[in-house]
Amino acid sequence: MTIETRRTLRIPAELGRVAEVRRLVREVAGACNAPQPCMDDLVQAVDEAATNVIVHGYGGGPGWLDVAAERIDDTIVITLQDEAPVMDPTLYPEPDLSVPPERRMPGGMGIHLMRMATDRLEHAPRPGGGNILTMARRLDPRPKEERS
Amino acid sequence: MSMDTTVEQVEGAVPITILALEGELDASNFQDLIDTVKRLYDDGTRKLIIDLANLRFMASSGLVALHSIVQIMQGQPPLDPEGGWQALHSLGGDAQTEVRLAGPQPAVERVLQRTGLDRMFVVHADRYTAIDAASAAA
Repeated sequence: MTIETRRTLRIPAELGRVAEVRRLVREVAGACNAPQPCMDDLVQAVDEAATNVIVHGYGGGPGWLDVAAERIDDTIVITLQDEAPVMDPTLYPEPDLSVPPERRMPGGMGIHLMRMATDRLEHAPRPGGGNILTMARRLDPRPKEERS
Repeated sequence: MSMDTTVEQVEGAVPITILALEGELDASNFQDLIDTVKRLYDDGTRKLIIDLANLRFMASSGLVALHSIVQIMQGQPPLDPEGGWQALHSLGGDAQTEVRLAGPQPAVERVLQRTGLDRMFVVHADRYTAIDAASAAA
C-alpha cells in the first residue's frame, strides 16, 4: 500500500461549509491526476454524504465533520467521520427508478448517487460515537455504468 | 452562496425567460433557486430555459429544485423537499415543455441520467437550440 497524497479537513456541520469539502476532494483528485469523471464522482459522493450527515445525522444542530482524502494504489479513498447518531447509508434501499420521475419525489436520491459514484461504500460505527463512512473510487476514466 | 443566477428575457410570440446558473448548486442554495423561479412565475414567466453551461456541480438537492421548478411553472405549489413519495399528476409520459434545460456539463448530465430526472426534461445542447425549440413549439 502506497499513500502518495493525503489531505484532511474539519468543518462545522453547516451546509454552507460543504463547498470546502468539495474543494478539498477536487484538489486531492487533481494532485493524483484523476480523470475528470473520477473527480466528478468523488465530489458528488462526498457532497451527498456530508449533506446527509448535516441534515439527517445532526438534524441541523451543531456538530463537526472530518474528511480525509488520499490516494491508495489506483484508488482515491475518502473517509468521512462525525459524531452524529449512527446512520448507515449502505442499508437504505435503492429507489425505484422505473417510476416516472414526475410521479415520485427526487428526495432520497443522495444515497443512490453515492452508490453510483463509488466503487466501494462502507459504513462503520465510530469508536466513542458517530459514524465512519469510507468511499473509494478507482482512477478509472469511465463512469461505473460504462464498465462491464 | 456558491452559485450566481442571471435572468434574461427573449422577446417573441411567446416570451422566454433564460435563467443561467453559474457555480455549484447544492443543499445550501437550492431553496434560493426555487424562490427565484417562484418570483419569475409570479412576474409572468411561462416558458423557462435553465442554462446549465456554467454550472459545474449539482447535488441531489438540485434535483429537488428542478422538480419543484417544473411544479411551479405548471402553476402548482412547489414540492415539500422533506415529503415522501407522492403521486403527482401525470404529464402524459412526455417531457414537459414549460422548463427546458440547456448545455449541461458531463457531471451534471450524469446526475440527471443516474436519477432518471433527464426523462422529465428536454435537454438541449445549448441555450440557442433551446430558444429555437421553445419558439417553434409556441
